[in-house]
Amino acid sequence: MPATDTDFEREFAELVAQLREVPAAAPESLQARVRALGEPEAPPTLRDRLATIRWRRAFLLAAPACLAVLLSVAAVRGLLSSNEPQPKALTTTVSGGEVLAPATKAVPAPTWGTTRDQAGTSGAFGLGHGVSGGRPVNYDASLRLRVRDADALSDKTAEAMRLARSFGGYVSSLQQTTTAGRPGEADLVLRIPVAHVEEAITGLAALGTVIEQHLSIVDLQQTLDQQRRQIRNLRVQIARLTAALRNPSLTADVRLRLQFQLDEARQALTRATRANKGTLREAALSEIALSLTTQHAAGTVTKHHRSRLDRAARNAASFLAAAGAFVLFLLIVVSPLLLVAAAWVYGSRAYRRREERRLLAPAPE
Amino acid sequence: MNAVTTTLPRLAVERPPFAAVAEAELDAVHRYLLFLTGDGSLAEDLTGETFEKAFRTWRRFDPRRGSARTWLCQIARTTALDHFRAEERRRRREDRFARERTAIEEPPAVPGELGAALSRLSPAEREVVALRVVLELDGPIAARLLGISRTACSTRLSRALTRLEELMTDARD
Repeated sequence: MPATDTDFEREFAELVAQLREVPAAAPESLQARVRALGEPEAPPTLRDRLATIRWRRAFLLAAPACLAVLLSVAAVRGLLSSNEPQPKALTTTVSGGEVLAPATKAVPAPTWGTTRDQAGTSGAFGLGHGVSGGRPVNYDASLRLRVRDADALSDKTAEAMRLARSFGGYVSSLQQTTTAGRPGEADLVLRIPVAHVEEAITGLAALGTVIEQHLSIVDLQQTLDQQRRQIRNLRVQIARLTAALRNPSLTADVRLRLQFQLDEARQALTRATRANKGTLREAALSEIALSLTTQHAAGTVTKHHRSRLDRAARNAASFLAAAGAFVLFLLIVVSPLLLVAAAWVYGSRAYRRREERRLLAPAPE
Repeated sequence: MNAVTTTLPRLAVERPPFAAVAEAELDAVHRYLLFLTGDGSLAEDLTGETFEKAFRTWRRFDPRRGSARTWLCQIARTTALDHFRAEERRRRREDRFARERTAIEEPPAVPGELGAALSRLSPAEREVVALRVVLELDGPIAARLLGISRTACSTRLSRALTRLEELMTDARD
C-alpha cells in the first residue's frame, strides 16, 4: 500500500503514465454543446446566496459575537440600571367614577429613604394642592417608616398622634410593640380631615425613613350624585304617595297597598340619607395607616450597603442569568427536535453512502 | 483542451467566468466520467448534463471552498450516480417483462489492453483512478469528493492500481 499520496506514482510509474496518456478529449459535439451555454446572466437568488454561506465558519464567528454582544448588553444594562432609582414601593391608586388627572400628573418618582430634610412641602406623595379639583374624594394612605431605635419609636408615635390632632383629626387605633431583642413596631390608624391630608402625610413622612408608601384616592362625586338622585326620587315618590292617600274615595285595599309603599319609600329614604352622610364623612376624613418600625427593611438601600459598581455588577449578572435561563429553556425545548434532525441527517447520509457503494460496486460475474 | 488550473486564491470571492471554466475543465470532467462509466457515449451525455447543471447553479459555486474542477467533478459524480440509479430502476422494470435479456456488448471506452483491464474494475475503482491518477487531484480533495476518508481513498487507489496491473500482466501473458 503506498505510504504517501505520490508513492503510487513511483510504484506504478509505467501504469500511471499509460493511464495519463489515454486520449479522452471531449468530442467536438460536446464542446459545442458546452460552449453554447454561454455565461449565466440571471441574478443570484436567495437560495444561491444561502448555498455560498459557510455555515460552520459562520457559526464559529457568530457564537463568540453573540456572546460578546450579550456581555456588552449586560454591562450597559447594569451600568444604566445602577443610575436608576432603587426599587420603589410607592403605589398610587386612583379609582372611582372618573380618573383624577391632576393626581396622576402630580405624583412624581418617589424617593426611597426620604428623610426629614428631604420631605418637601409637596408631601411624600407629591400631591399638589387641589388634587381632587374640589371634588369629594376618599383618601386612603399607608406609610411605613423606619426609625432609629425603640426610644425614637415611642417619640415618633407620640409625635404622629400630636400631628393628627393638630390637623383636626384623631387616632382611630394604635398598637405599639417593643420587645427586647426584637424590632419595635407601632401601627397607627389616623383619621385626618381631607383638607389637611397632604400636610399630614408630609409631616408623617418626615418622622422617619420611608420604606413603603401607598396612596389610594377614590373619587366619591359619582357616588354622591347617585345617592342624591336616589334621595330626590324617593322624596318625590313619598310626596306622591302622601297626596294619593289623601284621596277619600280610595278603597281599603288600595289605601293599604299605598300605605305599604309609603312606608317602604320612607325606609329607603332613611337608608339613602344615612349612606349619603357616610359618604360625606368619608370625603371629609381620610384614613392614614402609619406603621413605624425599628427594623431595617429588606429593600432599604443605603450608600453604605451597596456601591454603584456593585449594583451594576449585580444587575449585569442577573441579566446574564436571565439570558442563560432563556437559552437553557430554548435548548431544552429544541433539543428533541435537534436530535431528530441530527438522526435524520446521519441516517440519510449513511443511506446515501450505502447506495453509492452499491451502485459503484463491481457488477456480479 | 488543456487542464488549466482554476483554483483561485483562498480569499477571493469573485467567480471566474463560467465559459472560461467550462473551456478549461471540459476535458477533465469528460475523462473522469469516461473512467467512471466505462462508456464513451454515456460519458459524453453525462458531461453535457453536468455542465448544464453547473451552468444553472454557477451562482452557488464558492471558489473559497475548492477548485472549479472539484466542484464540477462533484456535480459529475452526482449526475452519474443519478444515472446509475435510474438505469437500475429501468433494468428492474424491464426484467419484470423480459426474463431473458440479451446483454449488449459495448466497445470499451479506452482502447487496447488498458481499456480491457479498466473495464474489469469496478466503477468505484475506476473512479478513484480517474480522480487521483488521471485528473491528479490531491488525496484529501479526492477523498472529500468521494465521501470517504483519506486512508480509504489511498487504499482503494492502491488496490485498483494493483488489480489493474495484474489484469494487464495477465492479458500480456
